[in-house]
Amino acid sequence: MRRWSLGMMFGLIVVVAGSPTPIVGQTPSAETTYTPPRTSDGHPDIQGTWQVLNAAHWDLEGATARLGVPTGHGWVDGGTGTIPYQPWALAKKKENFAKRAELGGWSGDPEAKCLVGGVPRMTYMGPFQIIQQADKVTFLYQYRRFLRRVYMNGNSHPEGPIEFWMGDSRGRWEGNTLVIDVVHFNDKTWFDRAGNFHSEELHVIERYTPTTPYHMLYEATIEDPKVFTRPWKISMPLYKLQGREAELMEYRCDAYLLDQEWDKPNSTYFQER
Amino acid sequence: MKHRMSRAGCAAIAVLAVVFGVVFLASESVAGQGFWPKDTPMLPMYKQWASIKAKLPPYDPPRTPDGVPDFQGFWGGAGGDEQLNVEGQEVMLDIASPPQESSIADPPNQKVPYLPWARAQFLEHLKGLGRGWPTDEVPKGHPRSHLHSRQLCIPAVTRQIVDGGQEIVQKPGLFIILSNNDWYRVVYTDGRPHTSPHARSWFGSSRGYWEGDTLVIEFTNQNALGWIDYSGNFYTEDARLIERWRLADHNTIDYELTVDDPKTFTQPWKMNFPKRRAGSGPVGRPLPPRGGPSPGVPGVAGLTSNGPTEGLPPVKDAYASETWEHACFEGNHQNLIGNHDIGYRWFRGVKPPE
Repeated sequence: MRRWSLGMMFGLIVVVAGSPTPIVGQTPSAETTYTPPRTSDGHPDIQGTWQVLNAAHWDLEGATARLGVPTGHGWVDGGTGTIPYQPWALAKKKENFAKRAELGGWSGDPEAKCLVGGVPRMTYMGPFQIIQQADKVTFLYQYRRFLRRVYMNGNSHPEGPIEFWMGDSRGRWEGNTLVIDVVHFNDKTWFDRAGNFHSEELHVIERYTPTTPYHMLYEATIEDPKVFTRPWKISMPLYKLQGREAELMEYRCDAYLLDQEWDKPNSTYFQER
Repeated sequence: MKHRMSRAGCAAIAVLAVVFGVVFLASESVAGQGFWPKDTPMLPMYKQWASIKAKLPPYDPPRTPDGVPDFQGFWGGAGGDEQLNVEGQEVMLDIASPPQESSIADPPNQKVPYLPWARAQFLEHLKGLGRGWPTDEVPKGHPRSHLHSRQLCIPAVTRQIVDGGQEIVQKPGLFIILSNNDWYRVVYTDGRPHTSPHARSWFGSSRGYWEGDTLVIEFTNQNALGWIDYSGNFYTEDARLIERWRLADHNTIDYELTVDDPKTFTQPWKMNFPKRRAGSGPVGRPLPPRGGPSPGVPGVAGLTSNGPTEGLPPVKDAYASETWEHACFEGNHQNLIGNHDIGYRWFRGVKPPE
């Protein structure tokens, strides 16, 4: 599959390009004495373009290496953890992995269909830019040119049921940390390319903590009583992109997928979902 | 406000309505249903706007902290609604296609100055649309043409700039457009050079600078895979696009787009139309006193993107000012299948003859 090959190359480029730079080796810690600059509203200013330098997009649990896929460090519960699936859900995860390249229907990796990645996956799918305003913090993601508004206006989550691809995000500041509570998801997105998944009862609590002028610690607590036996957590550093590379470029994945599939006589992409 | 509607999925419905319109009109040939009344006023694009603009007093816009004109807030679409054909539509179309003036300020005949091959190419696009329009030959066996990329949920910059439902955010060195339809555009105004000419994409590279109180944007590196409007007007990858954004008054942006593409057009040509602040009503018509009768809007009230909210009951919804996810591509699969299966072609751009 051409798309997967490009994805593999991207993953390798990120890993290779990142490794020789000494700053990558620093592990930011939430136990920081760093005082970030402030916006005119007096809140920590975390505006800029951020990106992970890791292989979390392949498999949050770390991945066993195979052609085109490097091993990853593991990001679950301190890095060595296992996602606490209920037994049925572990079987489903394995099925997801086996069918990950399917274009038709709803099985298969949503990324292979160029669908929006969900939370927290969009955080480690490519660079994103943060824009702060008085009433909201907006995340601009390079992938799919998608955006996500995190309202900081005191409104609570609206009454459900609502099923958004990126959930409904409500934010607040705890000291220097932007804490975002996200609910109202659909059950269509995955956490990574390994088939790790959730239901519409997913609840994510994200924490973005600036630790140096160039780093943030990203943490996400993940709850879903239908799929997991207990809440679990991922954490990873975010790096602030510099100079001309801080400009988001474009990956309009869906356009290129349609271009590839449109004239294929038997494309499974155009099956009913 | 409009933003509450988009949360409830009205934006999605609007897009779906257009797509369904294409599918149904093409496959069922229901031309004649739901046409606009003959006396429907035309949406004000260039001509009315030029006459209104000539009478406006000079405007000293509010400033951002770094001293440039402050465009921030929510804005509606061109002239009051969507851009179906930049050359204007005088004939009565289907219910989703109100009559509107030409957007073209130059040349004076208000037509796109295509070279002959390019005019023929445009007419091919138009013929194949299958919307029951007078030029539509689909029912007579003409092969179906291409859809506008937006109907496949892919925004392309020139079509999007005339859309309604956009918030402008300004930061030092940045002019940002956040769309209600889940896309964004970042224009750098810090003097940096364009991205590599080898890096083409749907939104390309946008670089702005200030000429007095006008933001001039050079838009390059675009892939020319998006049409200018729903009718199939186009330019090629070689096009040089220059936008000019100026606040004409508190509620109106005077928007200009110049297209220079010598292998496709006989001369550079220019569009000019107003964009109105969301909720401020149509250009050139006074708002009614609060609670008073609505003066109406061009076309059908409620379909235009910036119908007056003055005089309407206040919205008590705490979420009224919020914009929620739309996810057009994700929710549009049935329409993609439909458009694919009835034979629309995938648009791969137009190259001028050698």
